[in-house]
Amino acid sequence: MTEKSIVDKSALEEWITWARKGNWRPVGYRIVEAPKGPKLGETTTERYMIVERPHGVTYQHSYGLVSKFFEGLLNKELWGTVCPKCGTTYCPPRAHCWNPECKAAECEWRRLPLKGEVWTYTVMLFSATAFMEQLPFVLAYVKVEGADTALPMQLREVRPEDAYIGMKVDIRFIEDPRGELMDLYGVPSGKIEPPEHAALQRNPESVERLKKDLESTYAFVLKRFGRDNRVR
Amino acid sequence: MTKVAMIGGGVSRFDVNRREVAEELVAQAYRQMLNDLPELETRDIDAVMLSYFSDHLNQQLCMGWIIQDYLGLGTKPGYRVESGGATPVDNIINAYLLIKSGYYDLILVAGWEKMSEVDTAKTNEFIAAASDTDWDFTVGGYYNGYYAALEVRHMHLFGETEEDLHRIAVKDHNNAIENPFSQWRSQHGMGKITLDDAWSSRLICWPYRTLNIANISEGAAVLLLASEKVAKKYTDSPVWIEGVGLGTDSMRPGDRLANWAWKGLYPEDEGLYPVWAKTPLTPYPEMSNFGSMRFAADAAYRDAGIENPIKELDLAEIFAPYSGVELTLWEDMRFCKRGEGKNLIREGIVENGGKLPTQLSGALTAQGHPVGASSIAMANHVFWQLTEQIPKVYGSKASSIQQSGASKALLQGHGGTGCQGGVIIFGRD
Repeated sequence: MTEKSIVDKSALEEWITWARKGNWRPVGYRIVEAPKGPKLGETTTERYMIVERPHGVTYQHSYGLVSKFFEGLLNKELWGTVCPKCGTTYCPPRAHCWNPECKAAECEWRRLPLKGEVWTYTVMLFSATAFMEQLPFVLAYVKVEGADTALPMQLREVRPEDAYIGMKVDIRFIEDPRGELMDLYGVPSGKIEPPEHAALQRNPESVERLKKDLESTYAFVLKRFGRDNRVR
Repeated sequence: MTKVAMIGGGVSRFDVNRREVAEELVAQAYRQMLNDLPELETRDIDAVMLSYFSDHLNQQLCMGWIIQDYLGLGTKPGYRVESGGATPVDNIINAYLLIKSGYYDLILVAGWEKMSEVDTAKTNEFIAAASDTDWDFTVGGYYNGYYAALEVRHMHLFGETEEDLHRIAVKDHNNAIENPFSQWRSQHGMGKITLDDAWSSRLICWPYRTLNIANISEGAAVLLLASEKVAKKYTDSPVWIEGVGLGTDSMRPGDRLANWAWKGLYPEDEGLYPVWAKTPLTPYPEMSNFGSMRFAADAAYRDAGIENPIKELDLAEIFAPYSGVELTLWEDMRFCKRGEGKNLIREGIVENGGKLPTQLSGALTAQGHPVGASSIAMANHVFWQLTEQIPKVYGSKASSIQQSGASKALLQGHGGTGCQGGVIIFGRD
């Protein structure tokens, strides 16, 4: 049982140096004085040595039986799966149906329209290092038209204070997809009309406060990364 | 089958950096426990449950072996149970089941976490590796983002406000200032905070500000469970585990809109879905509630014979890494109906002095959250409450936190976005 390479865009050569450099050996150290003891009010002071051990690694991860979804992203297509027994449509796709009635039936692929609706969302004003320069951004769970589950994605071309549950979105792809979920994102489709129940917009004070908080995030990202992330 | 008691425990305080290594932190908590149980010979301990979440936070696999060896319990059976944030509560429940089965009489549950060896952003990333890394992880929300999105859904459907969330934050932080193991007190001293402090804390992801969010912490906690037969050898005031329950839900919260395993399980909660909202195929818990914890609570209440939790319980320690999770879990724990969580904070029911105070320890957002130790420290808090030892352990000024005459308490814990977890009912004679 062998495997045959069909497309090879491996970048391991480039990253192997990085992995060799960070190989768990200490590259530096500090000696500090810090508390010792289990309870406030009863601690003493101790000297501690702290070493710095970098570690680099690259995983070679298969997307398994839902690889078609990710290959689809490379071609700017959106795919989901449908259970042939109960008809539930999954996006994110499942190769096997999880409805207990269907006894792990194998699902079929279905091309999905590039349209959906925000099921829920949040506005991120702080994030992990990799996403810092994109701040602030809207992270949404979007129910793609025809799907019964929700797919997480970022929303763009919308001011964070304008996002709401129920917002209709068009799904778009970045210019050079890499085969990961960040290849797609949502943009508002049509009019922005928050319903009366909208968690944020039902209280005008909340909107004003969020806008103020966003100002400091815009300023931080502009200063740190030279990026103006305001949506106009 | 034997009854199972918690007979003692100990905590090594939670803080952003603890420079002792994990085994030393556990040893500090263990010493405190042994000090409180003078009759206990450590050779009598039959087995050890080892509670820690992450291997990659410390570049160390099989950390449990180091811990057990360090405590001098090297010949005894040792088990690790790992389930993200549910790790410590699952370890306690597993120890309970092992004793209940009659196989062992005395089990040490040891928990710890060292979370500051990598920077905060990297710690968040490592923790987020407990979410689905092909899907949810990739879009950059991590747990702050997932939980905020779940809360926005709950706010949308059931109408709680940002102010409700901040009231919860104020309650939990002010409870923690009497707690000498709490990170909040270590970092901010003993001054009380007000709603203004919550409003002016930094917005991380709407609607959550820093005071609504759990700490990154280091620390340790241990506890000892015993069969009825041996419990009385060591203590006159055991705290009994009267009921336990476990539950799970989907890995990806977005899948809960069509999670057929839930269909029809809780018709009343399905019926409480607002009529104006677009209804998913499976309306409970969908993305607004924590169904796994309802499932666990119902099993625990059944075991413990509890019919009306808000009346029969005297206090509860809820696993709430975010203020909205506490509010939502009041509903899933049946303290109130789905959608009515907001009333419990507005009416002061969950405040110290209210009908059912929650998070008297300060819990995850104020006591701290070194994952493998968190629920074990909360169990210790419950133990000291039910044995009226809070003033003795925390200091005499903490008597305002002691719930005089309390006899029944709930401890709840979970991991992921409610992907797995458990509920324990503690009671005293």
